[in-house]
Amino acid sequence: MDGVGHHLAFWSLAVITVGAALGILVSRNLIHAMVMLILSFIGVAGLYLLLSAEFIAVVQILVYVGAISVLMLFAILLTPRAARDNAETAMRYPGLILMGLVIAATVFVALETDWGAVREEPVAESARIIGQSLINEFVLPFEIAAVLLTAALVGAVALARRDDEDIDAHEQSLTLEGREDSGGSS
Amino acid sequence: MPEIVLSEFAGLSLPDWIDALIRIVFIVALMTVNALALIYLERKILARFQQRVGPTRTGPFGMLQSAADALKLLTKEDVRPTSADRWVFELAPYFAFVPVFLVFIPIPWTETWIVRDLELGFLYVFGVLGLNLVGVVMAGWGSDNKYALLGAVRAAAQAISYELPMLLVSVGVILIVAARLTVDGGSAFGAVNLNVIALEQTTTPFILLQPLGFAIFMIGALAELHRPPFDMPIAESEVVGGYFVEYSGIRWSFFFLAEYTALLLLVVIGSTVFLGGWNFPFGEDVGLGLQVLLTIAKTSAVIFILFWSRAVLPRLRIDQLMAFSWKVLLPFSIVQVLANAIILAYGGGEWIIGITSLALLLLLIGLVYGRARTLSRGAGRSLNKQPARPRLITAHDPAGGD
Amino acid sequence: MTIGLEHFLVLGALLFGVGLYVALAKRNAIGVLMGVELMLNAVNLTLVAFGRFVESEVALSTSVFVVFIIAVAAAEIAVGLALAMVVYRNRDTINVDRVNLLKW
Repeated sequence: MDGVGHHLAFWSLAVITVGAALGILVSRNLIHAMVMLILSFIGVAGLYLLLSAEFIAVVQILVYVGAISVLMLFAILLTPRAARDNAETAMRYPGLILMGLVIAATVFVALETDWGAVREEPVAESARIIGQSLINEFVLPFEIAAVLLTAALVGAVALARRDDEDIDAHEQSLTLEGREDSGGSS
Repeated sequence: MPEIVLSEFAGLSLPDWIDALIRIVFIVALMTVNALALIYLERKILARFQQRVGPTRTGPFGMLQSAADALKLLTKEDVRPTSADRWVFELAPYFAFVPVFLVFIPIPWTETWIVRDLELGFLYVFGVLGLNLVGVVMAGWGSDNKYALLGAVRAAAQAISYELPMLLVSVGVILIVAARLTVDGGSAFGAVNLNVIALEQTTTPFILLQPLGFAIFMIGALAELHRPPFDMPIAESEVVGGYFVEYSGIRWSFFFLAEYTALLLLVVIGSTVFLGGWNFPFGEDVGLGLQVLLTIAKTSAVIFILFWSRAVLPRLRIDQLMAFSWKVLLPFSIVQVLANAIILAYGGGEWIIGITSLALLLLLIGLVYGRARTLSRGAGRSLNKQPARPRLITAHDPAGGD
Repeated sequence: MTIGLEHFLVLGALLFGVGLYVALAKRNAIGVLMGVELMLNAVNLTLVAFGRFVESEVALSTSVFVVFIIAVAAAEIAVGLALAMVVYRNRDTINVDRVNLLKW
């Protein structure tokens, strides 16, 4: 990867991704942070394309941007009063220090380690290879992931669902209020 | 895979970026013309259904009406509410528009007219179309308007719910294509390519093998496009226009452009996957002209049906819509995928798949019809028991605090 | 200078660090989830970069791992958002500092 196009693509995508991530960091408005997060996801998808991992890039867009971000936006819209506040807690300075340390340590390891032989050409037909490994070598993790997803889905529904009694009480209070209002007006 | 280079048409070989530029200009022109034409046709067709004549004044048969509307929109003031979240509000139209623009890339208009022949075209289309929703939610939030917010929440809920059955029935088609590709020990890689899916339909379009799939795909498309009877996110009588209430002028027209382009694109994808696209019934040898005509004819027919459904079907309630997706369409599409997989795995003929799918479709229609019958009967009874008029008369009744 | 493995690793490290800070220091539960997603993305990017540049016995096993991580992230976000919704419904806030009933 040493063409002008590769350089241009990598650096612009890197700036978009890290810039958007920093945007989440400084943003005090949750919706702004969310838009930044989506930009960052898209940047990472572009980096996957640059790494010739088309399938992962499409899955990234499909799952992260299409599903996870929309779910989070949905949650923000459903929690209106709490949603606009995205300020920091008292953990700000310890967090900053930890962030600096982690970045320094990882960058040091990344630059100092000898990663061995570099593969010059990317693996062709990555989607086919991933699909085949999913149902050959990795079939047990695949099944476990399926079970995990089902469990998470059931758990999420069970958590987010209101009890029937609550709903009944809520509706009753609504109709009572409605009657009082109309009675007053007549 | 064959791949068109537009510059070859003029007998020139141009550098990549000029080629890309030509393609972009072509797509933008197509988008604009398509939106103008569809708006005019929709008004005309709806008028016919309602025994009116529709636009007649501007140009021959009123054909310049939508061009005049576009001109009006472009010169209109771009108003932003003072309490709006400025950046979110102003960026939202682009977030809604750009993904739709990107979906043009893997669409096979003919065998060779493709912007880029993507191996994962189908997944790409759905991934990128999902991005559209971000713009919608941003518009709803940024407007700082309760109706806009409600419209955006409805749009998000609807899109998430209907994307699933759409993707699942498409998986049914992809299974058939993959089975055909692997029949001689070949690799199933490419079964997600839209052009390969079209190529497999020289003799039988997949609507014959997957009638349920086509029905669910089109219902899902209606919901994704916020078209009646699934237009709750933009219903004028409920949320006064939905997520773009506060928009005007050019930003509003961006939303409209995105909507009509998405309509064209989803219908083209539907007709490529289920109706044979450019391929059925003439095959690959008929030349570009006839292939384009075939694509246009199939697309127009399906779009006409969508306009028709707008004219004749009443709007659903949002809870009915969600229940219909999660309780009816999703189970049916899962059963469809499972049936396809089992039949193909045990070497059943493709006609068995067709019959299974047809049976499922009839079951679905029967269920919906029966449910509608019981619902309408129940509504009739309760109307008889509790007529609306006496409530006004009993206003003086001391016992009735109504 | 060619774009190599190190470039992607450093980029992943930066993303991970920012995600870590967001997850630790943000007050809003949904903001914390955003940080977690950012960290997962950084890890995925690193894994895909390894799969592209490093020779291995099983080709692209890292990409398979990435697919699993994405699936788990989807599960995690569904449960996490459901939890946030429940907390908001019961306590009228999703400020993680004020959800402290179980704190010693």
